[in-house]
Amino acid sequence: MMSMILPRIVSVCFIAELFLAGAPAFAHTDGMAGGFLSGFAHPVAGPDHIAAMVAVGLWGAFLGAPAIFMLPIVFPLVMALGGVMGILGVPIPAVETGIATSAVVLGLMVALAARPSLWIAALLVGAFAIFHGHAHGAELPAGADAVAYSLGFVVATGLLHLSAIAFGLLRRWPAGQIAVRATGGAIALAGIAFLVGQQ
Amino acid sequence: MIAPGGAVLAALLLATDPAHAHDVVAGVGGFYGGLLHPLLVPAHVLALTSLGLLIGQQTPRQRAGLLGLFAASLIAGIMVIVAAFAVTSAGYAILTVTAAAGIAVAVARPVPMLVSGPLAMMAGAAIALDSVPQEISMLTTFVALIGTAIGAFLVTMLLADLTVYLKRDWQRIGLRVVGSWIAASAILVLALRLARG
Repeated sequence: MMSMILPRIVSVCFIAELFLAGAPAFAHTDGMAGGFLSGFAHPVAGPDHIAAMVAVGLWGAFLGAPAIFMLPIVFPLVMALGGVMGILGVPIPAVETGIATSAVVLGLMVALAARPSLWIAALLVGAFAIFHGHAHGAELPAGADAVAYSLGFVVATGLLHLSAIAFGLLRRWPAGQIAVRATGGAIALAGIAFLVGQQ
Repeated sequence: MIAPGGAVLAALLLATDPAHAHDVVAGVGGFYGGLLHPLLVPAHVLALTSLGLLIGQQTPRQRAGLLGLFAASLIAGIMVIVAAFAVTSAGYAILTVTAAAGIAVAVARPVPMLVSGPLAMMAGAAIALDSVPQEISMLTTFVALIGTAIGAFLVTMLLADLTVYLKRDWQRIGLRVVGSWIAASAILVLALRLARG
């Protein structure tokens, strides 16, 4: 039952993500709708963030239950803690390097179909979530509706995960498994490019 | 010995300042403006959603108790406003309740009344105190606040009832995801407000 319904839900999320991400730019506009769209656009505007979020979702799909369900629950909460550190100006060294590294490491986990224990996977993903949250928190615009912005920002991140989980469910078929692992490899390569680009 | 809920409510009520009115809904005032208020303020929507989901996850006896505490604290908050006082830090209290309730929804474990009771009371009082209408007379202010209390209570009760009916695995997981997203948003906004003063 679960296997029938979950793909439908995440597919709807994926379509919603595409439509909302394709909306005209309303960054820094006043009001709730502008704040939400501005926040929603923020995570999907950075390719390094997208790569890592997609890798997290794909890895969750590879790890299966309960990781596949815990991921979209735990990641936003840990990311929010990183966001708090960014907002309060608590310094974290090499944030951008950490974000690029997250794409490399998580992409490799998918490409290699790594299956560590849940707590190791959660620790790894949580550690990288701090970097992503810190970067987002430090870049929160001053003019936007704070509640609407943060909600849009968190929902966009969550939908990226769910979209990737939907794609990751293709691993049940041999061809799908190749496609998912190849995507993981591509993400790892993109992460290396992000790292090189920072030099 | 003072109950934790009473202490929370007392702390909120003691941290009072003269009331500051704000727009409820442009063009809609009085009872209906108040009724719509909880649905049109994003922070209130998040607070009521997380609280409603949290209440819905509890046992039937706890649900009734929590809804009763929530209603009582809404009324207490209204009484404070009618006495021409408002809590300037009610926004912080709302975000704190939202974050705590969101985390509890995400964790999806039974929450003792010792914890959920004060949360419900804090939510009710803070939402009432953060809903000062822009009315001139005491009567219209009171009517608008009654509308706010009814609106907030109905939203919370409906969400709690809806949660009870969501029993499938994927529905329960969906609720937890929503809880974590709400909590993350509230935590970010709380930090933002604390940082910007």
